[in-house]
Amino acid sequence: MEIYLYLALFSPLVGSLFAALFTTKSKTLVAGVVPSLLLFTSFVSSSILLVHILNGGAPVHVEMMTWMATGDLYIPFGFVVDQVSVTMMMVVTIVSTVVHVYSIGYMDHDKSFNRFFAWLSAFVFSMLILVMSDNYAGLFIGWEGVGLCSWGLIGFWFHKESASWAANEAFIMNRIADLGMLIGIFLVYWNTGSLQYDHVFEAFKGLDVDTLALIGIFLFIGAMGKSAQFPLHTWLADAMEGPTPVSALIHAATMVTAGVYLVVRSNELYSLIPEIGLFIASLGAFVAIFAASMALVNRDMKRIIAYSTLSQLGYMFAAAGLGAYWVALFHLMAHAFFKALLFLGAGNVMHAMHDELDPFKMGGLGKTMKATMVMMTLASVALAGLFPLAGFFSKDAILEAAFVEHHYVIYSVLLFTAGLTAFYSFRLVALIFHGEERYTLFGIHPHEAYKFMLVAMSPLLLLAIIAGSLKMTYFEMVTAILPDIEYHIHSHVTFWIMTIGTQLFVVIAILYAYKKYTTIGMNVPDGTSETENTFMYKLLKNQYYIPYAYDEYIVKPYTKLSALFWTEIDQKVVDATVDGIAGVIYDSGEQTRDMQDGNLSTMLRWMVIGTIALLILAVMFGLTARYAHVLG
Amino acid sequence: MVDHILSILIFFPALAGMFGFMINKDSIRAYGVAVGVIEFALSLLLWFWFDGGVAGMQFMEQIPLLPSFGINYILGVDGISLFIIVLSAFITMIGIASLTETPNVKNMIVTLLFLQMTMVGVFSALDGIVFYVFWELSLVPMLYIIGAWGGPLRIYASIKFFLYTFAGSLVMLVGMLFMAYFYYQATGEWSFAILDWYRLILPENLQLWLFLAFFLGFAIKVPMFPFHTWLPYAHGQAPTIGSVILAAILLKMGTYAFIRFSLPMFPDASVALMTPIAIIAIIMIIYTAMVAFAQKDVKQVVAYSSISHMGVIIIGTFALNVEGISGSVFLMIAHGVVSGALFLLVGVIYDRRHTKLMSEFGGLAHVMPRYATIFGLMLMASVGLPLTINFVGEFLSLLGFYQQSHILTLLAGTAIIVGAIYMLAAYKKMFFGDVTKEENKNLPDVNKRELLALIPLSIITIWLGIYPKPVLEPINKSAEAIVQLMHDKSITDEAKMRIPSPLNKAQTSQTSSEGAH
Repeated sequence: MEIYLYLALFSPLVGSLFAALFTTKSKTLVAGVVPSLLLFTSFVSSSILLVHILNGGAPVHVEMMTWMATGDLYIPFGFVVDQVSVTMMMVVTIVSTVVHVYSIGYMDHDKSFNRFFAWLSAFVFSMLILVMSDNYAGLFIGWEGVGLCSWGLIGFWFHKESASWAANEAFIMNRIADLGMLIGIFLVYWNTGSLQYDHVFEAFKGLDVDTLALIGIFLFIGAMGKSAQFPLHTWLADAMEGPTPVSALIHAATMVTAGVYLVVRSNELYSLIPEIGLFIASLGAFVAIFAASMALVNRDMKRIIAYSTLSQLGYMFAAAGLGAYWVALFHLMAHAFFKALLFLGAGNVMHAMHDELDPFKMGGLGKTMKATMVMMTLASVALAGLFPLAGFFSKDAILEAAFVEHHYVIYSVLLFTAGLTAFYSFRLVALIFHGEERYTLFGIHPHEAYKFMLVAMSPLLLLAIIAGSLKMTYFEMVTAILPDIEYHIHSHVTFWIMTIGTQLFVVIAILYAYKKYTTIGMNVPDGTSETENTFMYKLLKNQYYIPYAYDEYIVKPYTKLSALFWTEIDQKVVDATVDGIAGVIYDSGEQTRDMQDGNLSTMLRWMVIGTIALLILAVMFGLTARYAHVLG
Repeated sequence: MVDHILSILIFFPALAGMFGFMINKDSIRAYGVAVGVIEFALSLLLWFWFDGGVAGMQFMEQIPLLPSFGINYILGVDGISLFIIVLSAFITMIGIASLTETPNVKNMIVTLLFLQMTMVGVFSALDGIVFYVFWELSLVPMLYIIGAWGGPLRIYASIKFFLYTFAGSLVMLVGMLFMAYFYYQATGEWSFAILDWYRLILPENLQLWLFLAFFLGFAIKVPMFPFHTWLPYAHGQAPTIGSVILAAILLKMGTYAFIRFSLPMFPDASVALMTPIAIIAIIMIIYTAMVAFAQKDVKQVVAYSSISHMGVIIIGTFALNVEGISGSVFLMIAHGVVSGALFLLVGVIYDRRHTKLMSEFGGLAHVMPRYATIFGLMLMASVGLPLTINFVGEFLSLLGFYQQSHILTLLAGTAIIVGAIYMLAAYKKMFFGDVTKEENKNLPDVNKRELLALIPLSIITIWLGIYPKPVLEPINKSAEAIVQLMHDKSITDEAKMRIPSPLNKAQTSQTSSEGAH
């Protein structure tokens, strides 16, 4: 089995290096095809490993070589394929294979086609390192690696100021969280003497709760950065500057779920500190509704989906925080499929509309883009959580978990958010594909995407539909290492009321959105209508003024303070003192040079002064020596 | 040859330099490169012969100079100095090979060879006076390089560099004289041998005073805040080659000296002054990173970033445990490679445009993709991304210090944030966006000679990031010995507690792991 592990892990690296060979050359199809094939290899290997694990095989654990060893610290390049990591590997390899193939079409006309695939495959490699490592340091390699690739891909079109700005923002904001993660790793090492998962988890049982809580908090800070949880969430929406396949792969399906993975992987830690878990769950629920509310009024197709991702990440953290680790992982998986599908669909729309992002300038695209419409609609249905698509099973499980654990506030927030989700998803679908053909005003002739791109998307569609039915198989598999709590509502009546109630609520939200945004002569927001001038609308439209506040109260003061440090302190205080001291020495030399001007009478005068000074000194020393015993 | 390899390493370049005056001007480059290559090969031989399993000094040489005063020519290397010696041979070789069109190229190459003598001398000297002589001699070639080939403010910059560091070293010399005197008082014999000094157990207040005397000399060299202002001038005015050697090797003299002198000689003082020094280091990390962010000149960004990274090295050194000290020594090597490469990269663009102002560039990634890639790699190494050489050093340094103080490590850890801020901002200004300036539209990408220097540095950056073991293992061995020595000879209870004995710890962890199995 080890060979499959290495194949799964290193194929993307080979693909990336291969594509990198062509980066300075003009577009070469092979630079896209070879990485895609290698990713498919990686996918096949992962599937073999999945089958192995499903058949009750032992986790595959290899130690490739030593990375760092000093003092008592020993960190190997070690990889483990167990129930949790194989789930992640499947998600990563499926979505990335699809995205790679899709990108061959999507990036068709881009002059940096080759560079794109080098970065994209490098990302997959980093992500696999992240999920497959058997220790926290290895995880951190992947953690930073995906951050790097995300930087390279958000800023892919680096000639755009907004893109390179967003890339830097994402990198730096992630770095802030990474410091927390690093401190968490230090804490783990100094308290357990190791960073290997198996050893660490064993040692956790003997530690006091305060230390564990501290470890839990710091590791979670790391998770907050990658998974863009409040208050480190602003980078995710800005990350939409990258090419759309990147948004599908990195900023929806894989990298942003790394934080969830970290919490699930450390479940043995978080199980010991339920208070921290509750905090995570509450923050998750808050982010769920917070992000969904921003999606309600936004006019940028990709940002709407990004906020939706944020919101769904909140769901995952809510589940993980409440101890329902397998549910969190299940929602992660289901979400990866339908959200990637949604993004790729959005990519098709963007191509058709010449990179237009405002859904209010679209409408009626369903006529020309039937396949895309079907896919995006189904993906939205799955996202909204309607039976029998994937989202229903995973989201329902989260709601049930919150209910069964008696966290009714979290439950209500998540339930309400489900309605919001349905509303904004179908607002988007309605605005893009139905109603008036508003795009005609802009003289655009939309066309459907390449056939092979649609075919490439179809596995995701299939999975978005059927993933729910795999729930029990999946449950049996992962609970071999995750807590196997089944969340059953005991009373049948309550169960049915809840399920049907939720479904009805969602359906109503969908119908309302559909009706509101397909009516002929619908108001296109232009800043004049009454709703647009309400405080609430403005608040949501400006993302609660958080990006503004960050810019105003962090970025600008930092820049100003830096300039101040340089000109006022470094030059005018520190360096001026040095030069001042040198100046004093120099001046005193200048002043005293007259003493040696060669004039005999001046020299004689100084000689007399010198003699007197020496005499005084001699007398003083003599007296002190004589009377030392008296003084002492 | 094995017995005298260190003397050969020291004096071969100097001797070759003297012959260099006789070489024809046209062939001086080839001659310089040849000497550099031979010297580097010799240093590799040193590494090859070096026994990684031995913690103590190897290749010891001893020739009496003034035996009645205890001054002897003593040389030796351990895991700590070995790689800095290899690095200085490597950087000098690369520096000579990539030397651009320089007026008076013969003088330059001869100067570089003399500089190399002093560098190897400093890192292999085991006698206080010999160390001091090489330490001070290293100022002269650098003074000449800045003063003769520098920018418009070169005289001011070179004199500032010389006088400032010289003043600091004089105080250090006084400290050395006192050490020899105390040795005389204790044993009745004079000695300047560092290994003799190690055996001296001094009372705490004496340790504090001597520590401060040495500290001044080292701190200015490192340079530590607030003694750092000579560095931006020196870098700003020095030619590329001068900056490369200054940043890669000369600054390491200060941090190396902390580990060679301060820690083993004054363990109690090191513990007592750990917190204030860590605070200075944190100021270096954050404050100079912010100053770097404010710079308009890319070379100044790299110069200030050096100070910021030296702060992390100091933090690792004063972690006073094996993890931290190994990390800081490794980071010295890492920073040598990465900052050397960054200064070379700045030189590449300066040669083309004769300006270092970032506002003059923009969109360079379009016209010089290879240059942008290598710069990007070095940027990421400088930021401390895992699997690059810097990460290993930075991670271990911070990890080590975490044992001493949680809060201070958290503050020092901001290095990974502030470092990313100024580096990414600089990269964005230079490489991203559209090409706006007409002059930049047809810039040639890096040429073969530049690649000759940059590619080996890139390879080392990644190789030692993925597989640091060949370097880390010998360092670890010697770091263990130093920590053990400090633990054994420390006198205060606090110091005994703060400096964990690697020996005891190895035993306890062994028993605990046995218990776990």
